[in-house]
Amino acid sequence: MIKIEEVTKKYPGMVRPAVDKLSLNIEEGEICVFVGPSGCGKTTTLKMINLIIEPSGGKIFVNGENVLEQNPNELRKKIGYVIQKTGLFPHYSVFDNIAIVPNLLGWEEERVEKRVVELLKMMNLDPDENRDKFPKALSGGQSQRVGVARAMAADPPVMLMDEPFGAVDPITRNQLQNEFLKLQQKVKKTICFVTHDIDEAIKMGDKIAILDQGKLVQFDTPENILFNPANEFVEEFVGSDRSLKVLNLLRVTTVIRKNIKRVKEKAGIDEINKYFSHPEKNRILIENDEKEVVGYLAKEEYHKISTAKGWNKAIRIFPTSLNNHNTLKDAMSDMLQHNIAALPVMDDDDKFMGIVSFADIRSYIGEAYEENETEKDQDENEVL
Amino acid sequence: MTELRRIFNYFTNNLDRISGYTLEHLILIVIAIALSVGLWVSLGILLRNNKKTADSVLGLGSFIMSVPSVAIYGILISIPGLGLSRQSAVIALVLYSMLPILRNVYVSLNEVDKSILEAARGMGMSERQILRKVQLPLALPVILAGVRVATVMMVGIATLAVYIGERNLGVLIEQGLKRSRSDMIIVGALLVTVFVLVIDFGIGWLEKTVVPKGIQSDEESKTKAKAGGEI
Ligand SMILES: Nc1ncnc2c1ncn2[C@@H]1O[C@H](COP(=O)(O)OP(=O)(O)O)[C@@H](O)[C@H]1O
Ligand SMILES: [Mg+2]
Repeated sequence: MIKIEEVTKKYPGMVRPAVDKLSLNIEEGEICVFVGPSGCGKTTTLKMINLIIEPSGGKIFVNGENVLEQNPNELRKKIGYVIQKTGLFPHYSVFDNIAIVPNLLGWEEERVEKRVVELLKMMNLDPDENRDKFPKALSGGQSQRVGVARAMAADPPVMLMDEPFGAVDPITRNQLQNEFLKLQQKVKKTICFVTHDIDEAIKMGDKIAILDQGKLVQFDTPENILFNPANEFVEEFVGSDRSLKVLNLLRVTTVIRKNIKRVKEKAGIDEINKYFSHPEKNRILIENDEKEVVGYLAKEEYHKISTAKGWNKAIRIFPTSLNNHNTLKDAMSDMLQHNIAALPVMDDDDKFMGIVSFADIRSYIGEAYEENETEKDQDENEVL
Repeated sequence: MTELRRIFNYFTNNLDRISGYTLEHLILIVIAIALSVGLWVSLGILLRNNKKTADSVLGLGSFIMSVPSVAIYGILISIPGLGLSRQSAVIALVLYSMLPILRNVYVSLNEVDKSILEAARGMGMSERQILRKVQLPLALPVILAGVRVATVMMVGIATLAVYIGERNLGVLIEQGLKRSRSDMIIVGALLVTVFVLVIDFGIGWLEKTVVPKGIQSDEESKTKAKAGGEI
């Protein structure tokens, strides 16, 4: 979908090029994250795709067409563009900001209206409450949402995003990232995403392009960047806490447990005893009369509580829930915050899917690294 | 008390003459401000991306400001074809308004946040669309502040145009001085002050009406506009 061929950018007066013979291919519907230290050429690369910066050499194809042969303004209307500082027009309402490109394209009023309202809903902004607000009345997170909505207004197949979530606090950033990933599953845009934050790159990217001094160092899936860094630079850039980063990469669905037995709060103790007598069955889910899962019972805790007092004392009520797009890191952080060892996972329709537990996450990560270590040992043996 | 009475009497006994002077004053200012805004705003737009030229033109503007107005009038009437005419008065006022208006146009157009311009460009707006839909509306408060300063200045300088044949409120002051009539001077000065206040109020109203809501005066944009006016 986006093909970058031997692209170079040399700014006047600079000794070495800001971007040096960069080549890569971005598939349709993928998020490609450009990541690297400050000044490595990420922004320059991105801005060459919509010709805000003219390349000094090389070719860029979007959807098979050479961008250099197109009218820049027409090209840009077909490419969504989101920047860190949002660049919202302060004198335009939220509605008018989002409507900019549709209006430039001459859409009819009704179509614009419908589209803007749809986008506001998509970005979790209440249309009635927000459409007439001016940017100065928005929070950082809301501004970024409007920025993304504006870029998607004319439904461009390609989006360029330069540190779109860089200016908001970590909690809001996490929220925006999750929402955006969820949205991307539906809209399947081809996205170039710039960040200097490797954690964000791992979380957002289908592919990651690591740049150093204008050169492409590694272009790979997040898994391979983490488990098989191409060289020392990548290894260092990814950091020593790789196992923690894996938590940011994997979704809760990788370790989810489904089909766990459910009982009512008033269930008889024999039923529970019988189930727990199986050595591999460690948890039972508790549901209320509406058949909603409200908590769980862990075997250990259950056995600690004497039967005389009733087993209900051992029930742990779920204080919150995860959704299926959350990462393992989200899960761990929620568990620690609420001091609970397992949490339910809900799907997009808020239906119960299963549970994720601390123990399962730990063993999964442990195994993944063991596999990788043995692979490495083998490699080394081959070299010897 | 008698002094106040004298002033009041002078005012009521000469209402016709005084309203005539006021009207003449107003006509001169309106013509001059209309030409100034048209001329200096256009020039500011033309020069907005050309720092070198803008700097030298603004330098010329400062120089003109530093020349006493009587001298400017003197130079203008010596130009063949102008002479003792309203043209001379208008041209002098337009020249004086160059610095406050042109400078505010130039500065405010260049002060529009880079990220806003980048976003505009990134969405495929042409340079003209960006100027019309983004830069000018955002620059408007500062431009109006410049126009306000220029107008207030013009009202004062216009009184001196009586030396080149204008018959405006300046007549009261000039005659009063000549004939040591403090009542005339005070009536003239008061009317000029009222004039300034009315214009100030008018432009304030204009600001509320034409400046886009999203950037309008809560305290923040107001201080910005003021700062722009004083650079
Ligand atoms: N307009 C410019 N003129 C000259 N040098 C520039 C310009 N823009 C960026 N650079 C330089 O090019 C290099 C890459 O910049 P950039 O692409 O913005 O990096 P990144 O986005 O990765 O931080 C930096 O060394 C920067 O100083
Ligand atoms: Mg950058």
